[in-house]
Amino acid sequence: MAEAPAGVGVFRHVGFFYRTDEQYAATVAGFLRDGLAEGEPVFAAVPPARLTLLRDALGADGRRAEFADMTEIGRNPAWIIPRVAAFTRRHAGRHVRYVGEPAWPARSAAELREATRHEALVNLAFADADADILCPYDTMNLDQAVLFDARRTHPLLLSGGRQGASSAYAVPFQIPPSCSLPLLAPPHDVMTYTYRTDLSRVRALVLKHAKEAGLTDSRASDLVLAVSEVAANTLRHTNSHGTLTIWHDQAEIVCEVHDEGTITDPLAGRRRPAPDALGGHGLWLVHQVCDLVELRSDSSGTTVRMHMAIHPAPAGG
Amino acid sequence: MDLLTTSVATVESGSEHYTLVELAGEADVTNCDALREVLEAEVAKQPRTLIIDLSGLRFMDSSALHVILRANRAMGRQGGVLALASAREPVAKMLRLTAADQIVPVYPTVGEATAG
Repeated sequence: MAEAPAGVGVFRHVGFFYRTDEQYAATVAGFLRDGLAEGEPVFAAVPPARLTLLRDALGADGRRAEFADMTEIGRNPAWIIPRVAAFTRRHAGRHVRYVGEPAWPARSAAELREATRHEALVNLAFADADADILCPYDTMNLDQAVLFDARRTHPLLLSGGRQGASSAYAVPFQIPPSCSLPLLAPPHDVMTYTYRTDLSRVRALVLKHAKEAGLTDSRASDLVLAVSEVAANTLRHTNSHGTLTIWHDQAEIVCEVHDEGTITDPLAGRRRPAPDALGGHGLWLVHQVCDLVELRSDSSGTTVRMHMAIHPAPAGG
Repeated sequence: MDLLTTSVATVESGSEHYTLVELAGEADVTNCDALREVLEAEVAKQPRTLIIDLSGLRFMDSSALHVILRANRAMGRQGGVLALASAREPVAKMLRLTAADQIVPVYPTVGEATAG
């Protein structure tokens, strides 16, 4: 990366495949240090152990860098694009560097799929940004399927010390097919409710099940808001009923809403609406309050699956 | 019982002149048209200050928020001020997440809203 010229109005999205801590520290800290040397704003969001590596490698230089724990700011991968967009907006008119590591081995399969979707959407969301984006991938511990998708979502790859175009990157823009696989079937013991305009009943059901599952009052209210916003879309955008399905296990409660609507904007809910905007808040709120959101939509209908952990893990993935 | 009830009072005591709209229940896409009618009627009377008391509101969705933001715009256009007061935590959190609290002043109590 050291030889990469300082870009002007250039968007580069590079997947970096690493094997060792030493490789990680040298390459990622080098990428950040090159930016700092040019006076560029730099931001790195990576898991905590990697943050330590970067801080140690950068030493005093690191004081001018912005760091974040990706296991917090990117727990729901849909939170990452608005966070990075806030960073680029804050430095509008300047070339910026961002390091984002959204995939780590302890993530669930559903989370990794959403991390892959996030990486694909970075190409849409920041197509006009003046930014160098470097995304490290732990090749020793991540599944091959995740690594293969990283080849699909990054136009450029840095692997074994060489940077080049990724032959698997799809042009024009495409979300990898793995992100569109059918959602896993719910377990057998689910609660199902068909609603038309009785959203108050929908909210009451979600609240009851969220409390029974063990969510705190505050997180139960979050889930109620999310489900209500999705169900409100059924009323706004379709002429038919919607179906709410709820289930939970020891780890999480899941609420799924299905209706005949179609959501076509792949970035829906990932752009912070202007505060006085008179639309666009629904899916924004859904993503903001949930731990994970899975969305499948085509001409036959839309399914939104909202996950809330019952005992949210303390940071430290 | 209605999901959402609204009551309107015009307060004129001493130096205080304001319209107070109290919302109670749940405000969502199914009743936001009724809410809009109530707010539009009050905005049309051109009060200097319109305070919406949210203390009785258990739930508010983005449709209801948009009605309030529309009323806020209209109040601003005619040189008045709209303020929100006494939001319970779920509603207050929703106002923070949408950053609506940066557009519309939000006060802990109606008393503070009248002083603000």
